[in-house]
Amino acid sequence: MSGCQGNSCSITGMLGALCDCCISGLSWKRCAPGAVSRESARRILRKRAYGALLAGLFQDGLSKPAPNALAKTPSHNKILMISFDLRVSGHDEEAERLEELLGQLRDGAGLSELDSVLELLVQLAGSVAPPLLSF
Amino acid sequence: MANPASANMNAVRETMDVLLEISRLLNTGLDMESLSICVRLCEQGINPEALSSVIKELRRASDSLKVLTLMQQ
Repeated sequence: MSGCQGNSCSITGMLGALCDCCISGLSWKRCAPGAVSRESARRILRKRAYGALLAGLFQDGLSKPAPNALAKTPSHNKILMISFDLRVSGHDEEAERLEELLGQLRDGAGLSELDSVLELLVQLAGSVAPPLLSF
Repeated sequence: MANPASANMNAVRETMDVLLEISRLLNTGLDMESLSICVRLCEQGINPEALSSVIKELRRASDSLKVLTLMQQ
């Protein structure tokens, strides 16, 4: 994706890069005067991103729901549960591969926040439609 | 003898490849570029649940923008 700024190291820079990734496929060449420009689209996306990121903050005074058992489950185990669901639904091959890949991550991954990344993947699991099979 | 820095780079690259394949199997919709940014944000201490909300919100917003720009062209 050409619109992404991969070298930004600050959180704001990386959020900006994430926004750019979302609009990288859009064509701005033929937009009418007064229409949404790339810059205004960036501003809209950044505003929405910060809104979503900061929504959970400043709620210390409010009563928080008690965390359920699943919230305390390690992300590694949650992926194993997804793998089990895949097997039950007849996707043995995918389940096998998922467990194999998870095993590879256990042997020295080189990332400091691997659990957080796995948790992110669990949170996003199924958030897009599976790719269409070609016949 | 392999340079420790380049050995670590290779380990990170291999881990990223594994994470991308897991991500595809889970249908998260992340490509390598977005995944790398997300990994770096997690390493900066961003809560993964908050980050997933950001990504879902960005998808909703960019879908609306796509419709809007198509209507304007």
